[in-house]
Amino acid sequence: MANGSDRVRFIVGGKIFETTTTTLASAGRHSMLGALLDDSWNLRQPAADGGGGEYFIDRNPSCFAVLLDLLRTGELHVPPNVPERLLYREALFYGLLDHVRAARWGPFDGNLLRPAASVAGRAPGDGTAIRAGPDGGCCVAHGSMVHVYDWMLEEHRPISLDYQQVNDVGYLDTQSIVVTARERLGKGDGGMGLFCSSTGELRHRFRVAHGNQVKSFTAGALSFSGSDDKIFSSCRGRCNEYGIGVWDQNTGQQVDFFYEPPGCLLGDADKLQWLDGSNCLMVATLFPRTDNCFIGLLDFREKSVVWSWSDAGITTSLDEKRVLHAIAMEDGRSICVVNQYDDLGFMDLRSNAGGVRWSSRSRLMNRKLPAEESCYPKLAAHEGQLFSSMNDSILVFCGPEWVLTSTLRRSYGGSICDFSIGGDRLFALHSDENVFDVWETPPSPIIY
Amino acid sequence: MSAQKKRNFKIEAFKHRVEVDPKYAEKTWKILEHAIHEIYNHNASGLSFEELYRNAYNMVLHKYGEKLYSGLVTTMTWHLKEIAKSIEAAQGGLFLEELNRKWGDHNKALQMIRDILMYMDRTFVPSNHKTPVHELGLNLWRDNIIHSHKIQTRLLDTLLDLIHRERKGEVINRGLMRNITKMLMDLGSSVYQEDFERPFLEVSASFYSGESQQFIECCDCGDYLKKAERRLNEEMERVSHYLDAKSEAKITSVVEKEMIANHMQRLVHMENSGLVNMLVDDKYEDLSRMYNLFRRVPEGFSTIRDVMTSHLRETGKQLVIDPDRLRDPVDFVQRLLDMKDKHDKIINVAFNNDKTFQNALNSSFEYFINLNNRSPEFISLYVDDKLRKGLKGVTEEDVEVVLDKVMMLFRYLQEKDVFEKYYKQHLAKRLLSGKTVSDDAERSMIVKLKTECGYQFTSKLEGMFTDMRTSQDTMQGFYASQYSEMGDGPTLAVQVLTTGSWPTQPSTPCNLPAEILSVCEKFRAYYLGTHTGRRLTWQTNMGTADIKATFGKGQKHELNVSTYQMCVLMLFNSEDCLSYKEIEQATEIPASDLKRCLQSLACVKGKNVLRKEPMSKDIAEDDAFYFNDKFTSKFIKVKIGTVVAQKESEPEKHETRQRVEEDRKPQIEAAIVRIMKSRRVLDHNSIVTEVTTQLQSRFLPNPVVIKKRIESLIEREFLERDKADRKLYRYLA
Repeated sequence: MANGSDRVRFIVGGKIFETTTTTLASAGRHSMLGALLDDSWNLRQPAADGGGGEYFIDRNPSCFAVLLDLLRTGELHVPPNVPERLLYREALFYGLLDHVRAARWGPFDGNLLRPAASVAGRAPGDGTAIRAGPDGGCCVAHGSMVHVYDWMLEEHRPISLDYQQVNDVGYLDTQSIVVTARERLGKGDGGMGLFCSSTGELRHRFRVAHGNQVKSFTAGALSFSGSDDKIFSSCRGRCNEYGIGVWDQNTGQQVDFFYEPPGCLLGDADKLQWLDGSNCLMVATLFPRTDNCFIGLLDFREKSVVWSWSDAGITTSLDEKRVLHAIAMEDGRSICVVNQYDDLGFMDLRSNAGGVRWSSRSRLMNRKLPAEESCYPKLAAHEGQLFSSMNDSILVFCGPEWVLTSTLRRSYGGSICDFSIGGDRLFALHSDENVFDVWETPPSPIIY
Repeated sequence: MSAQKKRNFKIEAFKHRVEVDPKYAEKTWKILEHAIHEIYNHNASGLSFEELYRNAYNMVLHKYGEKLYSGLVTTMTWHLKEIAKSIEAAQGGLFLEELNRKWGDHNKALQMIRDILMYMDRTFVPSNHKTPVHELGLNLWRDNIIHSHKIQTRLLDTLLDLIHRERKGEVINRGLMRNITKMLMDLGSSVYQEDFERPFLEVSASFYSGESQQFIECCDCGDYLKKAERRLNEEMERVSHYLDAKSEAKITSVVEKEMIANHMQRLVHMENSGLVNMLVDDKYEDLSRMYNLFRRVPEGFSTIRDVMTSHLRETGKQLVIDPDRLRDPVDFVQRLLDMKDKHDKIINVAFNNDKTFQNALNSSFEYFINLNNRSPEFISLYVDDKLRKGLKGVTEEDVEVVLDKVMMLFRYLQEKDVFEKYYKQHLAKRLLSGKTVSDDAERSMIVKLKTECGYQFTSKLEGMFTDMRTSQDTMQGFYASQYSEMGDGPTLAVQVLTTGSWPTQPSTPCNLPAEILSVCEKFRAYYLGTHTGRRLTWQTNMGTADIKATFGKGQKHELNVSTYQMCVLMLFNSEDCLSYKEIEQATEIPASDLKRCLQSLACVKGKNVLRKEPMSKDIAEDDAFYFNDKFTSKFIKVKIGTVVAQKESEPEKHETRQRVEEDRKPQIEAAIVRIMKSRRVLDHNSIVTEVTTQLQSRFLPNPVVIKKRIESLIEREFLERDKADRKLYRYLA
């Protein structure tokens, strides 16, 4: 047990702390405290007096107390007199920032989410997309700018594209963000680039070659495949280069191109989604970008469209239900869609003939025509839960019948134009004020 | 007053900017630089980690990260240059030890420096795309020590020299070698590969190229392989002791190429000790070594296999066409079996039961067994020999083993129908003369043939067995019914053979003696009485008889003779002297059989119950025969064999062959008709191929014969030639 030599005494900013080397061991060798206690630095202090070592550290004692408590219990409790920013700075000094992040919020559960922060952006009203990063940070695209926030919600240097309109963004990893941009007429710009998330520098530009010639193009929706490290993007070029481009994540080189076959809209897609289970890419081109919605599954090995659906010829009037957003469900068996009345619908991927099976929930809700300022609804699926944005709130659905289980709503900010889940957090971007909310699951309760 | 004063109080703009001590960065860096020096000088005990960490932190925080980083590079470089000097100064064998010691020191120092600069490593380094401290330390070591031109070549030479000495049998410090190669690997796989592995492989290649040349001049094949194997194992052991595991494949491929692949042909064909000699002398160990070494190189197996195949074909060919061997069919087959056993064992023991080698062995046997068209006959004779006498006192399992081996040879035969012909003949002889030793063995052989070739092949053979059984029953029935009337006349044993199942030659029956004839007539009456609508003919050329004879001095003998011999001897009951003509007239035995029969009675020493005038070996038309009163024998029972060639005589052989050819005709025609019935129209070549595949389980039909059969079928209007394309045949339903 904790005998004499196991005990360590710290004097931090005048305050005395006593702990054990075992407690400090959980900090790891690659932290300041781990190195401090390492044998190579303690040759002259043979802990013979039973009191162990005594160390002086010239830092803030209140933060040390919080961090020591974190090492002891694995839980983070920040007293009101300690500002978070101060704590983060001290944690960085000790090399314990990762510990703090891990204790900050719990594993994601859509029904336990609580609002953690609201961050106001600068440019109102034109939010394009918000994307969650793998470590709990996020980026917000609007106009020709991408604002990048780390998990502490500190804003980093923004990615600026010199007036090229950003179409989509995505995190390749914590350090790298892929941005797709619209080509401006008469300039050989647009396309797709990889940026450093901490400095905002351009690291790589992705090219599209057609007949051995590099072409300029407009890149649209993005998707990444986890299993074989590919990047997919819808591409619209000057003449022939309509379709889906594929690049390798490691080399950044173009490895494939799926040319748009007649009757399928690929180059203008709103949403791409890689399905790991079936090795297919879902492509959805939807209203209002096009009058006739198209959803298809592409098999790149055979260059074939293995499943497709279109509402051409079905829809006649504006009041008809139009598909506004689509996602493939996680089991890879169906596609979930949403219409302008916020009805959920499902399509079976195992048969080619079926249409949309609209959920009956719409009849229970008051059907009111969307208000003027509202945004088109968006969908997301995460670990067996389905999320749908509707005006200023996000609805959470669970279970085999997709029952509404939670509603996430903040009182201000106007309707939600995009949201994203990642790093165990949910980010919702409001269009009116260009403010985004951060939702996270609190750490597990003290008694299980 | 005070209020007045307060009103006068004026907030002034800050006149001087808050500025840290301009020498702050320089001072802090000095502290850190000093610490780095102390760490390298093993004097770190006076340093305070907390203070150094805080100083490094402050420098980064105050945007002096760049200064800190470049200072680190300069200081570390300076130390490494000093270290390089001391390593260069090390004498002879101490060089590697000094290098190893300094490497250990550097690693330890690097760890401590990294501790101090941890904050820089976390924040400044990634955001400025710098190399992290640890990696930086390794890179600087690489550039300043390993790639310093005084050390680089010396290090390489020392390492290669040590390995060379170890190859020559000296003991070297493997622990030190391991530490040094580990260092090279730690510096990155490219350092290990470029600075050590590539030259190491080159030197090894030239070493082994020289050594293999030397070995091949003075060693025989077995010794050479032993040495090569030892070298290979040494290299693998070396890798496991002090090289990177990834080097194993590379160095073994060098040894394989230099020691085996380059000399493969010469080794295999080496005079007096090459592969052929190993096969002949059953050198399992050497063969197994060769197999295991050659499997590592491309073309290795095919080389062994080709040499083995040609050796097998050559020796096999000599065996089957050697006229000396043809005299003794049993020995001939036994030699084939021994050869097969020998090579089976080699493949099993030395060649890991490799399928491709087994296939090569089989195809070789198939090749040379069919070189001799008497092989089917000989194999059948071998079985005959085994089933007649060879299997006495042998257990059932052993019988099975022998028969299985024979079946193996049988499988190689192309003319299985010829074998069937002979087997039928031999079986008939065995059954009729009651010579078969074991019914079980006979049946087991037939079951084997059946599984190999199907029901059709053995149905007649089985019919022969059935006949034997029913004959027994018939005889029992006959004696039961005639018991009262039999008296003491001769005892008759009849075997009723179904025509068609047995290889009988049509022969005119001889005149039987009256005593026998009466019993025969009784049997005929009995048999036809129980089985109506049948016809019996006597095959007198195939029977045997036991007769009792009394000679001059009153001694009695029981003579075991053939039916023909019995007929001849019975004549001497009434006469003492008979001429050839008289005998021929009385018995009506065909001349050739009669001659053979008389030869066996009169000309065989010790069994000459007749005496011939004049005395000579051959029988002439005008010879006279006397009852030999003076016949003596120490046995009561005397077996008088017929002079029959065990093997077939030339004309007989010719005849058998013709019969085989004759039998093949309907089979080929049936196959053609079967094929044409399903295909309706087919060209000539396709018919030939299909017929060949259909029939090859029995024999290999000659294309010329197939053509003749097709023509015959056209004549008989089973087929017609296509009007437009003469090459096409059409089936006429």
